[in-house]
Amino acid sequence: MTHSSRSRLTRRSVIKGGLGLALATTALATLGLPMPARAAGKKVIIGAFADGGLTPFKQKIVPQAKEAGFDIEFLEDEYGVTLEKWFADAQSGAGQYDLYLLDDPWVPQFGAANVLEDLGAGGIDGADKDWIGPMMDMGYWPPQKGPRVKGFEDAKPTLICVPFVGDLQTLTYRNDVFTGGAPKTWDEVIAKGKEGVAAGKIKYPVVFRGVSGNPIVTSWYPVFLSFGGAFFDDKWNPIFNSAEGKASADFFVGTMKQNAPSGVVEFDSDQEGAAILGGDAGAIIQYSGNALKADDPAQTKVAGKLDFGVVPKQQSAIAQMGIFIAGVPKSAPNKANAIEFLKWYTSAETQAKLSEAGSIPVKRSAFGIAKPGNRLIPVALQQLDAGALPRPRTPDWAKVEELLGIELNKALQAGSGGGVALDTAAKQVKDYLTTAGYY
Amino acid sequence: MQIGTQARKYRLQGAGLDLALPYLMLAPGLMIVLGVLVYPLWDGLRASTRAYRYGSPISDVGLQNYVHLWSDAQFLNALWVTVKFVALSVSLEAVLGFALALFCLREFRGIRLLRTVLIIPMVITPVVVAIVFRLIYASDAGMLTALSEAMGGGAVQILGNRLNAFIGLVVLDVWEWTPLMFLILLAGLQSLPHEPFEAARVDGAGAWRVFADLTFPMMRPVLAVAIVLRTIDAFGTFDQVFVLTRGGPGEATRLVSIYGYDTAFKFQQTGYAAALFVTIGLVVLALAFSAIRLLRRIDAS
Repeated sequence: MTHSSRSRLTRRSVIKGGLGLALATTALATLGLPMPARAAGKKVIIGAFADGGLTPFKQKIVPQAKEAGFDIEFLEDEYGVTLEKWFADAQSGAGQYDLYLLDDPWVPQFGAANVLEDLGAGGIDGADKDWIGPMMDMGYWPPQKGPRVKGFEDAKPTLICVPFVGDLQTLTYRNDVFTGGAPKTWDEVIAKGKEGVAAGKIKYPVVFRGVSGNPIVTSWYPVFLSFGGAFFDDKWNPIFNSAEGKASADFFVGTMKQNAPSGVVEFDSDQEGAAILGGDAGAIIQYSGNALKADDPAQTKVAGKLDFGVVPKQQSAIAQMGIFIAGVPKSAPNKANAIEFLKWYTSAETQAKLSEAGSIPVKRSAFGIAKPGNRLIPVALQQLDAGALPRPRTPDWAKVEELLGIELNKALQAGSGGGVALDTAAKQVKDYLTTAGYY
Repeated sequence: MQIGTQARKYRLQGAGLDLALPYLMLAPGLMIVLGVLVYPLWDGLRASTRAYRYGSPISDVGLQNYVHLWSDAQFLNALWVTVKFVALSVSLEAVLGFALALFCLREFRGIRLLRTVLIIPMVITPVVVAIVFRLIYASDAGMLTALSEAMGGGAVQILGNRLNAFIGLVVLDVWEWTPLMFLILLAGLQSLPHEPFEAARVDGAGAWRVFADLTFPMMRPVLAVAIVLRTIDAFGTFDQVFVLTRGGPGEATRLVSIYGYDTAFKFQQTGYAAALFVTIGLVVLALAFSAIRLLRRIDAS
């Protein structure tokens, strides 16, 4: 064979090469196709959003799960992108996860789209009296109690999620500023906080999240509830702009802003955490993520000076409940393992270990263990008994929260006009829900 | 053996393989284009004429989504913010980019290093740039606040103030994308013929006269291309806003890209979001065509 014949491009070589390329492409494409669900030992792929509330689970429970025979793969994302990412995963049937650790307001959206497994049919007993009732209620779609959205009025409630970490808002305060224990009212928070500022112990009486959307609504919500506000009536008409609601919004964007850091409009959980853990703020209402760091000198400058209490009241001391709640997508590649893992994880024994690890459990028995791993746990139970409400159970909560959050954020910038902001938001929410066919 | 091979060859030719071969060779590329460009475009257009509920299509609504856009206050606000952002950013980038290109046209010691340094912002990932600017702007622990406090001032409010946040976003964009303008315009300046400039110098023309009568008119086509490219790109700005302000405070920095993203993925209004993006695509296309027509007119004159 000569050199020229070896290098010449013949039609045959082109056809051969083309066929080879086509076969290789087909093989690669086939490999990329989603495979049918199959058991792979006890592998469980858990999706979660980054939050300090999951730290005890990751550090203490995941190793125990491995000892119990589960091969846990923990995939974490930023909070701001998880809802859309997981919803796309569930809806397209991509099968990237076996278990989502959802924020509870997302349950209705996943429930209405019918993309999560029926965990009751999988053998999880939702009627077990040991569950914290209000937390377990959030796992059903459509909800067992309260108003239902159109199309689901007569549907049978199905258990599509189970409570995973029982998070809720509580008060964290400086015990050298509030020397008589947890402040009972908002007026006390502000008055004693100002004394703390005057004494040079702190820089601001309070701190909260002011960023538009979910952050500001989450910070305003316990104030709203404590002023006696209610969000929707039983026909989904917005009533958050009631006299009580407006008073709470005016207090929030006026008095609270004046007693918070000057840049609070742009504060999210990082900044509010830095303000309380750094020793600048006197009090904060927060979920457990930053509260769990209160005794760790590596994470706070004021270890030993932070105590926990029930949220302050105007009319009542009600907090917002915002739990991590676990759902198994219908497209999960290791569905059986995921359900088996949930049964193991929500057993009274494992929940006791979770409580020992410092996380708020979802079974009442686990609150009663001899040595809970964090001082916050008994306070969380006190708050549950005092009052804790979930956000309204609608698949459109994200949009409602967005509309309200924008208007509240504008009023916060101005430092006044909270009531007007609620009127504007109520009209926008009503228009939106009308378009969405609620009435 | 030889006869058998020849016979097979003729049989293949007879089956029309000669005619089919070019199409067979084009097929993989064509399928990729159909799969990643034509089908998504078609699917997006189809989605834009449907109403979605809980992430699934429920009915055909014709052009209703497109009509609704023009009475949606949030969309109109986002469009207005985007137009202001694009106009301000691209204008500043063009002016600064041109000035830098003129300066770097000269040859002096260290000019190569300077040219390299000037294009660094452009090669940094936009998300990283946004995180760095967030660290600069943050009112609690940001660099500007630290500087202000060191000089006896208070916290600098950028991200918590509507106007300042918008200006802060423009500054970020100008910092990151002026180098692209600079690069395109420098290449344009270097390709200009030397003769007219030498003639002008011999005639005693000053720097301003040379710029006004020679450089600028000769650079107009290049400048127009650079502006069109940047305008199209700026309309799609997403990452920087997503990280820096998420559209806030209020809706002060909410560009159409952010509003469309939220509408599609957070609120699951897929059809409405598709109509929004198709509309924005058409606006950008119209801008590009206008710019091309303008270029042709400049060329003709």
